[in-house]
Amino acid sequence: MITMNLRKLSIGFLIAILVAISAFPTGNGLPTGITDQNTTDTVIANGCTCHNTNTEATSSVIVNLTLPENFTSGETYTLILNISGGPNDLADGENRGGFFVTASDGELSPTVNDTLVQKPFGFTHLTHTSEGNDYREWSFEWTAPEKQDISVEFVAYGNSVNGADSSQNDYWNKQATTLYGVDAVIEVEAHEELSGPQKLIYAFAIIAVTLGVVVIGNRMVTKDQAFEDVLKGYWKAIYPWLTTTDHKYVGIMYICTGFGWFFVGGILGLLIRWQLMEPRIDGDFLTYEEYNSTFTMHGTTMIFMAAMPIIFGFANYLIPLQIGARDLAFPRLNALSYWLLPTGGIVIYMGYFTGGAGDVGWTGYTPYSSGDTATTPGTDFWVAGQIMLGASSTLTAINFLVTMLRMRAPGVTMMRLPLFSWSILITVFLLLLSIPVFTVALILLMADRTFGTLYFNVEAGADPILWQHLFWYFGHPEVYIVILPAFGVLSEIITTFSRRPIFGYTSMVYAMATIGIISFIVYGHHMFTTGADPLFRFIVMLTTMLVAVPTGIKIFNWLATMTGGSIVLKTPMVFALGTVITFTIGGITGIVLASIPIDIALHDGYFVVAHFHYVLVGGTIFAFMGGVYYWYPKMTGKMMNEKLGLLHFALSFIFFNAAFYPMHNVGLSGMPRRYATYDASLTDLNEFISIAAMLFGFVQLIFVYNVLYSYKNGEEAGDDPWDGWSLEWTTSSPPPHNSFTEIPTLKIAEEEKQ
Amino acid sequence: MSLIEDLIFFDNPSIWNNFGGTSSGFGGIVWQMFIWSVIVGVLVIAWLVYNLIYFRRKDGDPDHKDALKAGVFPHERGNTIIELTWTIAPLLLVTWLTVISLAPLNYLWDVPEEDENTLTVEVLAVQWQWIFEMPSNYTIPSEFTKCGGVDQDGNPIQNMQITYNCLEIPHDSIIRFNINSEDVLHAFYIVEIGIKQDVVPNLQTLAWLDTSTVNPGEYNIYCAEMCGRSHSQMLAKLYITEVA
Repeated sequence: MITMNLRKLSIGFLIAILVAISAFPTGNGLPTGITDQNTTDTVIANGCTCHNTNTEATSSVIVNLTLPENFTSGETYTLILNISGGPNDLADGENRGGFFVTASDGELSPTVNDTLVQKPFGFTHLTHTSEGNDYREWSFEWTAPEKQDISVEFVAYGNSVNGADSSQNDYWNKQATTLYGVDAVIEVEAHEELSGPQKLIYAFAIIAVTLGVVVIGNRMVTKDQAFEDVLKGYWKAIYPWLTTTDHKYVGIMYICTGFGWFFVGGILGLLIRWQLMEPRIDGDFLTYEEYNSTFTMHGTTMIFMAAMPIIFGFANYLIPLQIGARDLAFPRLNALSYWLLPTGGIVIYMGYFTGGAGDVGWTGYTPYSSGDTATTPGTDFWVAGQIMLGASSTLTAINFLVTMLRMRAPGVTMMRLPLFSWSILITVFLLLLSIPVFTVALILLMADRTFGTLYFNVEAGADPILWQHLFWYFGHPEVYIVILPAFGVLSEIITTFSRRPIFGYTSMVYAMATIGIISFIVYGHHMFTTGADPLFRFIVMLTTMLVAVPTGIKIFNWLATMTGGSIVLKTPMVFALGTVITFTIGGITGIVLASIPIDIALHDGYFVVAHFHYVLVGGTIFAFMGGVYYWYPKMTGKMMNEKLGLLHFALSFIFFNAAFYPMHNVGLSGMPRRYATYDASLTDLNEFISIAAMLFGFVQLIFVYNVLYSYKNGEEAGDDPWDGWSLEWTTSSPPPHNSFTEIPTLKIAEEEKQ
Repeated sequence: MSLIEDLIFFDNPSIWNNFGGTSSGFGGIVWQMFIWSVIVGVLVIAWLVYNLIYFRRKDGDPDHKDALKAGVFPHERGNTIIELTWTIAPLLLVTWLTVISLAPLNYLWDVPEEDENTLTVEVLAVQWQWIFEMPSNYTIPSEFTKCGGVDQDGNPIQNMQITYNCLEIPHDSIIRFNINSEDVLHAFYIVEIGIKQDVVPNLQTLAWLDTSTVNPGEYNIYCAEMCGRSHSQMLAKLYITEVA
């Protein structure tokens, strides 16, 4: 009973907070209160801030405009304005005061023959004359408008001047008053223009309520249920997802969140391509600043909020199953890691409501990013959100490390782990060693931006490329964090569909471990054109070249696995083989870029963009799409539609290559990345790329449709639809609540036969 | 140029043609990289296609003797000699590619000293423009008019010592660029020539160019490191002019 009340109470609190946020008045003006640009200009010209070195109003200066109780139409009233108080509380005298008054309706005019008050030609406001600034009280007339059912806004500025010639030690303040007509209905709440977030929240609320009414109403009619019963039914469906610590649920939420952000990031990518469809001038489609935000958010979203969650979703789901454990070592920590992810993502995207999302590139190079003046305000949100994502990844890494080292089932020794598990183990080692460095760098950056510290302030003597060292020390292992699990997925799929054991299991493990170790000593290849120490750059060229060796071993082992096997070409397999091709191309261009003389010409150009999209999309994303086709039966108990899958692969593969291959050529022709416009001679190629990229985007809808369609209409899968060997195929599909009815023992083929 | 031609053909940055005479032709680094890339790529794809043609499962094929079984760790397959082969072969290949990178690297990093044989241009990058300053003792040749504008009669005016977003340098000389930044990171990038050097605040970076290796004419200078709103507008022209 208590828990019921608590839950109601917490929901009540949540709703109250949401309402408070949306109802909270959001100020659009300056702290001075002067919001209207035109008024500000005339104020400065006519008697307020011209005497004042402070732009802020001084509250102790009392400005008093005497108004009638209300007004009748057409009538003329005499108004009196005086100022008093403040630091210069002096009597009238030479150069002691000034004023400025506006009315939103009706007509202000000086009293006839008054030499103290003037109405500048062509304006509607009143101000003092040069004689009038010897006084602190003025009177003038106001003729009411034709309508008397409205209200009129008066704004009066008073200037308290000390009589000295300079404008120092002069202060001013303003007073705004509303005067109602005799017939006006006085409204307690004034209607204000809605701010951006309010509009969004209201729009979402309207859509949500409409959808809710339709869906719940439909359910009530068709199922003939009472309103409460329908709601209870939904709550029952959602509640387990919100409160779960089960690795299978968390894993699926990770995967869905990852693909959800992948969709958002994809749309940002298409915005980039639309902008580059032709060489555009500033603001033709996106302004240059918006373009900078767009590619920043695209990169950040794709790496941190799409690729990594998809990987950790699969890891969450599969690692306990593959090592024969019931769950991860710290299930609650796991749930925390997950919930930090959508929250951090939302924080990063909050930047869009503050005048432009982060615009510093996903690398966030200082001193551009540490200077708060040039960047958009959303960059603060970008930093804050990234810190949350960093915390999430660190916790995940610890969780997996403990699970995989301590919780393996009998028979699952280290050298009998499936290769996907091995790839995750190496990945989490890399993660644990690298991501805290980035998080710390982000905290320093945040301190620089918000608290005025000087870690990256070059003028104060900071090392101008310190950030690059910190970032790439993390950033290079990061790209292997993203690609190694894809190697794991490929190893699993290629083995299973060749119906043979992997060729050279041991060398595969050592190859991955070697890549992991080398990844920490190659990061300098992102800095070949900086002024870093030439010896440092030379050494990382050597180590970068070395990465090709273990990577080559992996590719050749996959091909050798297939040779002599009996290959079944199902959707997961064609995705895996497509990945082998695209990843090989991306790997080769990686070696080309590793050579410093060539990199000097190609660095920060589209050749690099082509390279990392071949590796990240053609490698990671293709492999994990194959992974979805491969493990979907295990997760849902249903097979995915084979025809749609093959169609999805064929179109994706064609349009992917059509979109990204020409980027090599564009890059060789000298187009730098992060350019919102380009040389007109490259228009043809860019247009071709843009069209292919959009088609590549649309083709992914087939995938979404297939996932939803197969969930309802797919064939029953059974425990081991693909004849895989690892332990996840020994449990039912989907696995029972505790993952295994009893903890399995991994057998060994050699002993099996005897 | 048609789209198809664009996809096949492209202009190499001209510095690749001649890293001080060490790199041109099929022995040069660019051709070597290209040839080995194609060889490796074709090898992988050909092997993949070969597998797909000869080792497809047909209906009714019996299972292999070491076929996979759920819950059973499979037989270990491997062949030490083959595995060693494709460890050592790529190692040799990347060693070779590293070795051929050394000479051009040495050439690029061998920035000439500031002496009477070199023309030292001070390059200053600010958000979002390039400022070039010729040495004070350098007499601007009368041929240099590209960056100087025109007088009221329409005659070209000779360049000043300091020019904005426009640089004119003599052909057949050694040019040294001392590069500095006023505010944030930029990158000095001569597009067609393929020279790129980050511009780092508080740290002078260097680049150099032997203009006898390139043709006289007009070249583009871009900023290649993201530097804020008008990053893509931070462009300049480079003119290489023959001087008598």
